[in-house]
Amino acid sequence: MQYDLVCRPASTAVRFALDAGESITCEVGAMIAMSSGITVETTSKSRGGGGGIMKGIKRMFTGENFFLNHFTSQQSQQTLLIGPTLLGDCIHHPLRSGSMVVQGSSWLASSSSIDIDATWRGFTSAIFSGESMFWVKCSGTGDLFLSSYGAIYPIQVDGEYTVDTGHIVAFEDTLQFKIGKAGKSLIGSFLGGEGLVCKFQGQGKLYCQSHNPPSLGKLLGPKLKPR
Amino acid sequence: MVSTLNFEITQRPDFSMLKVALEAGQQVFAEPSAMASMSPNLTLKAGLKGGALKSLGRMFGGESMIVNTFTAEKGPGEVVFAPGHIGDTQHYRLTGGSLMLQRGAYMANSAGIEVTGKWQGAKGFFSGEGLVLLKASGTGDLFFNSYGAILEINVSDDYIVDTGYIVAFEDTLQYRVRTLPGLRGGGFKRLFFSGEGLVCQFSGQGRVWVQTRYVSPFLSWVNPFRPTKNN
Repeated sequence: MQYDLVCRPASTAVRFALDAGESITCEVGAMIAMSSGITVETTSKSRGGGGGIMKGIKRMFTGENFFLNHFTSQQSQQTLLIGPTLLGDCIHHPLRSGSMVVQGSSWLASSSSIDIDATWRGFTSAIFSGESMFWVKCSGTGDLFLSSYGAIYPIQVDGEYTVDTGHIVAFEDTLQFKIGKAGKSLIGSFLGGEGLVCKFQGQGKLYCQSHNPPSLGKLLGPKLKPR
Repeated sequence: MVSTLNFEITQRPDFSMLKVALEAGQQVFAEPSAMASMSPNLTLKAGLKGGALKSLGRMFGGESMIVNTFTAEKGPGEVVFAPGHIGDTQHYRLTGGSLMLQRGAYMANSAGIEVTGKWQGAKGFFSGEGLVLLKASGTGDLFFNSYGAILEINVSDDYIVDTGYIVAFEDTLQYRVRTLPGLRGGGFKRLFFSGEGLVCQFSGQGRVWVQTRYVSPFLSWVNPFRPTKNN
């Protein structure tokens, strides 16, 4: 599969050149444009954890979009152009073995050979922070495309590393983590503007984003009319 | 009147600005509030261009009825235009043909171009966000803008674009609004689950310009952060 990251870093889109039979799984709504020799199929099963349509609907109303669009090329030399919602960058991560845990809204697309599990609940405690964050676990071998709000910067963790939960894009599951507070006391860390942080431990790759999507939401939301 | 403008587009694709250097007596037309700065030699006149009916058409096309006219009355000068949001600006030279613009994409034009609204009938109505188009025709320079970067696509056969991501296209192309091909489960499933709005299928020969971001999904993203109503 050939790909090209265009218009980096703030308006990044991913352009794929697909040959007959090649297939890519994308976040719902990500398609910008495509050749007409590509077909689309919507499923809820792999991300919905086998829950089927009813579970999918339920999740849709809780604000989490658990549907997947599978784009399959029927002819050679087809192009597909996809992009995320927020202004920011996209990156490619080759998944060779093992798993990558991706923040839900940062997952943009992956090869069809990658298994996407949205039932992963390792971060349940993050719900405490009041954000409707969810996490997907991607396993297998193939290409993974991640998006961010702002720029993406990689960190090779060896030992310990602390990241604000809103700045996490993805991390390898060889890393252990603990949700905690940034400062010594809970009140102190909230007053300091740092809500919950994730303390990583071990060896593995971590992707962070320069800007925090929930912070943007909290900045804009109160200025809008109540819903 | 000289319909060729001396211009420069800088800071692409995210913070694009259009600088136009006008010769004495030359004019440029732009959407209201697009002007960022200008020389004192220029006079700005707001008004209905092309009469009330044409303006009404533009209003249906999602553009303001008012088009500002900048004239270099007191000698040469320059004017800088910028879109209201972060995004790209694209130049297109019209030579007697027509260019279709998505609502809101119009930014500025030189003399010699007429911009009119075009009611798309049911074709536009069903696309939700509205494939409400403006039609620019004549001979001269045209500038349009986007949210996100603009990518040019050369269509030589069939091509599909999500209606919300269309910025402009040449009218040598035929188009029809349709659902995505190959989606099983019919209209309901497509509309509610695939998340891809209606698409526009282009055929023929011509160019399409698409934007890499779209405001509506961003607004949907912000929506959960709005406060809830307390009665």
